[in-house]
Amino acid sequence: MPPKEKVESTEQVLQAVILADSFDERFQPITLETARCLLPLCNVPLISYTFEFLAVAGVQEVFVFCCSHSDKVKAFVKKYEKSSNMKINTIVSQELMSVGDAMRELDAKQLIDTDFILVTGDVVSNMKLDQVLEEHRARRQADKSAIMTMVLKKASPQHRSRSVGDGSLFVLDQGSKECLHYQPVKAFKSTREDRRMTMNMEIFDKHPEIQLRNDLIDCQVDICSVEVPALFTENFDYQDIRADFVHGILTSDLLGKTIHFHEVSDVYAARVRSTQMYDAVSKDIISRWTFPMVPDSNLQVGDCYEYRRGLVYKEKSVVLSRTCVVEEKVVIGANTQIAERAVLSNCVIGKNCIIGANVKIDNAYIWDNVVIKDNCVVQHSIIANDAVLEQGVTINKGCLISFKVTVGANTTVPAYSRLTALAEGEDDDSDAELISDPAVVGATGRGRSFTEAEGSDDEDEDEDPKNKQVNMLAFDMSELLLATKEQEDSASDFESEASDLEEDQISPEEELDREVAATLDRAFQDGHDVDIAVLELNTLRMATFSNFKEMRKRVIPGVLKHIDPAARPGSGKTAKEILNRWGSLVGKMIHDEEDQLDGAYVLQRACATLYQDVAQAQRVFAPALRYFYDEDILEEDAILEWYHSEKSQQGTDVERQLREVAVPMIQYLEQSESEESDDDDEDEDEDSE
Amino acid sequence: MSKGTNDLVDILVAKLKRRQLVGSSAVAQATLKLLIVVISKNNWSKANDLLNLVRSVGQRLIEANPTELAIGNIVRRVLHVIREEFRDAEASSKSDDHSEFQTVPLTTSSSMYNLLSETGSDDKEYTHASHNLRSDIIQEVRDIRIELDTIYENIKNQATNHIHSNEIIMTIGRSRTVEEFLKMASSKRKFHVLVAETAPSYLGQQMALELSKAGIEATVIPDSAVFAVMSRVNKVILGTHAVLANGGLVAISGTHMMAAAAKHHSIPVVVCTGLYKLSPLYPHDEDSFNVVMNPDAVLGFEEGDLMEKVTVTNPYYDYVSPEFVNLFITNQGGHPPSYLYRLIVENYDPNDHTFDPLA
Repeated sequence: MPPKEKVESTEQVLQAVILADSFDERFQPITLETARCLLPLCNVPLISYTFEFLAVAGVQEVFVFCCSHSDKVKAFVKKYEKSSNMKINTIVSQELMSVGDAMRELDAKQLIDTDFILVTGDVVSNMKLDQVLEEHRARRQADKSAIMTMVLKKASPQHRSRSVGDGSLFVLDQGSKECLHYQPVKAFKSTREDRRMTMNMEIFDKHPEIQLRNDLIDCQVDICSVEVPALFTENFDYQDIRADFVHGILTSDLLGKTIHFHEVSDVYAARVRSTQMYDAVSKDIISRWTFPMVPDSNLQVGDCYEYRRGLVYKEKSVVLSRTCVVEEKVVIGANTQIAERAVLSNCVIGKNCIIGANVKIDNAYIWDNVVIKDNCVVQHSIIANDAVLEQGVTINKGCLISFKVTVGANTTVPAYSRLTALAEGEDDDSDAELISDPAVVGATGRGRSFTEAEGSDDEDEDEDPKNKQVNMLAFDMSELLLATKEQEDSASDFESEASDLEEDQISPEEELDREVAATLDRAFQDGHDVDIAVLELNTLRMATFSNFKEMRKRVIPGVLKHIDPAARPGSGKTAKEILNRWGSLVGKMIHDEEDQLDGAYVLQRACATLYQDVAQAQRVFAPALRYFYDEDILEEDAILEWYHSEKSQQGTDVERQLREVAVPMIQYLEQSESEESDDDDEDEDEDSE
Repeated sequence: MSKGTNDLVDILVAKLKRRQLVGSSAVAQATLKLLIVVISKNNWSKANDLLNLVRSVGQRLIEANPTELAIGNIVRRVLHVIREEFRDAEASSKSDDHSEFQTVPLTTSSSMYNLLSETGSDDKEYTHASHNLRSDIIQEVRDIRIELDTIYENIKNQATNHIHSNEIIMTIGRSRTVEEFLKMASSKRKFHVLVAETAPSYLGQQMALELSKAGIEATVIPDSAVFAVMSRVNKVILGTHAVLANGGLVAISGTHMMAAAAKHHSIPVVVCTGLYKLSPLYPHDEDSFNVVMNPDAVLGFEEGDLMEKVTVTNPYYDYVSPEFVNLFITNQGGHPPSYLYRLIVENYDPNDHTFDPLA
């Protein structure tokens, strides 16, 4: 692909960019062996729907970005290009990890010179883009900062074509068609950030009327201007087009770019993002919501589907036995044979499959060349190419059976299983033999169960695993709630109450308490330098308009807290060791004599409150006082003044007893004041205490 | 086939598949235009070559959208013209050679004599080399094109024979043929038109608007009221998407209901159609030439919860069986349904009903 620009740009070739990689693992183990965009959806590769959508929109040139299984994508695209009147370029880059990377690559290669359509390789839509394009261009003419137009589709919140885990909240201005804020919404909001939305209040100044919408399907069809890839390059940490890019652009004051939207209502648009969506979109296609993209339009060259009553689509070469029952919503591919008494409903069956007698298939997606022998039952699952189910196999709902797996006779595969025939450590072309797991696939089977961990990177570690679950095929919401109900209830109710309380009625003092504690904890845990800790604390002090007195009240107990009176020397937790390391932190909070006196009071109170047992308190207090004296943090005068003051003699028993501990020191101080002698021997006296 | 024409075929196929090109008239024009290019731009010397070429193109176009019957009709008309031209050429060359009178079958005719003859014998007939036939054939095909262009003219000129003053006419959907027919009649007569609104496409509303713009008194009625007002109607005038060999119609959904109501009240049903919509195919089952559209117009996609619980089918066409129709008005005049077989024989060759390649 030479980056040289052709002269034809004058007549505005409409360009589109397809991101053919999904950057996630929701279809594993099936996607270990082929690219997501090549999975058959109603027996047509997924990306064909996207191509078709773009072709109808009048796109003349397409760039397909692919990463995993790029050779397969490339081969398919090459074949497809011949039968289409679009120019399709494939761009392979093994380093692509996200949408952001693809956009940066696009910017680096300088392939795009006009506004373009950005879609993912799993969009199924019958919308016409001419109106959107026109609107976008008109807006661009008027205002250069309008860089992007998102196409959004209205649908009720519980709609089956909405991906459960990938909700989004849009703040829109219907007048100017501007998107003002964007927030992704997870299905299960485990952290407080998930449950909240922060919005810039200035929005209200500029836009008198706004809408907050959660009823939009966002299928990520965007009309982007050339600036979009460039902005991705500038902000190299942007990964996702929505969560990072749109959110980032809209919250940034500096860029001054605007993002618009176009709402469509009478057309179909959805993305096959997860197995659950695969199921929903397949059903939509069979129910003809995607018309004219339906099986009997035969979009793929060589297909010859016919429509029959009851939403049954059948190739001409299908062999149906006399007693088999084809119920509603069934697609059957070429050369497939269905034996006696088989019952099919709500399912898609690929090419060259053999379905045995008495087989029951409900809600399943069976791809090409699958053999299902007699008396099998398949429910709500996906069975990939060349899989074999021996006699009497039962596949429960939610299973993904990958390529070439054989399930032995009379085996029952439990719900939500994922089976693969790939050897473990599949990435390298190692000779690792597949070790079949007879417990899963039966004695004569071939395959093993697939576990998530092996291929997955831990990027979304913090993500609630439930958010992943809800995207699974055949996932039943009620089951999830049952399984986790108890902890759900207690945890979330309590948490939300607590968090509401905190957030709404928190006093600045409590806030400071919490922040100081957090800062100190961090410093202790990560072993920061004292200087850094001091810097942080000072910043905090200034940020909260606080003073040193307030800080002392919090820092001194914070440091003392880490002393373990029972610790042995050398463990790093004795009074001496802690103080040697962190004592100077307190020193930074004390500046003049008044501070010193106050510090002494705080020290006394802190020891008394931290340690209930007098003996323990004394064991901390004495060395602390001594240390502060030695380090000149508390000077003679201050200590004496503290000792003789009224305040130190009041207070609780413990506090008073602590004062008693200081008696030998006071005596020594008073003595030395009069004698002005040196204090060499004093060390021992003090230590022996 | 040459590269250039192949590309043109691909483009038209893609358009038909994507339903960017729909409607009998538009499809017929496009098909004819393409066939003229195919005939003139490709090399062929024998009749069989040309026939096979046109058949293969026709086959591809029909597969792209089997419900647009006009494509097949146009292809068959062209094939018919080609056969005729070859026969004429052969007849004249033979008479030149032998200078004696010979009986040459001028048509593959419906004569009883040919009924039992081998159909395969046709093939031989057309294998002779030909010269200056190309221009003759193209001229004939152009004539078909002219016919297509003048169809509305020819049909609407018959309007005053069928519509009388102060009649109440009922129609459904929006057909250009019917629209022009009524407008023509309105220039001389005053009458009232009831238009069924034609849910879910509501084309009837557009139709009524167009008619009233032309000064015709038009009233939109809901589809459910068709039976109720039928007793007051003098005539039902329908447009159609296609006419099948038995005289049945493939027409916009709602037509069957209207035709049945008319039959119940013994109201005459008149169908206005161009001859290019007449197909030699028989309907083997009612659904065979139907298109099932997006259910969105019936049940909104937004209704997420309901959507999963019901199956909505939204057929675009109705099949109306021939006994409901009293008269066809074509560009060649008025015909009863029983006469259609004759029009089919005159316009199409029986070998062309399917497009399997010739031996």
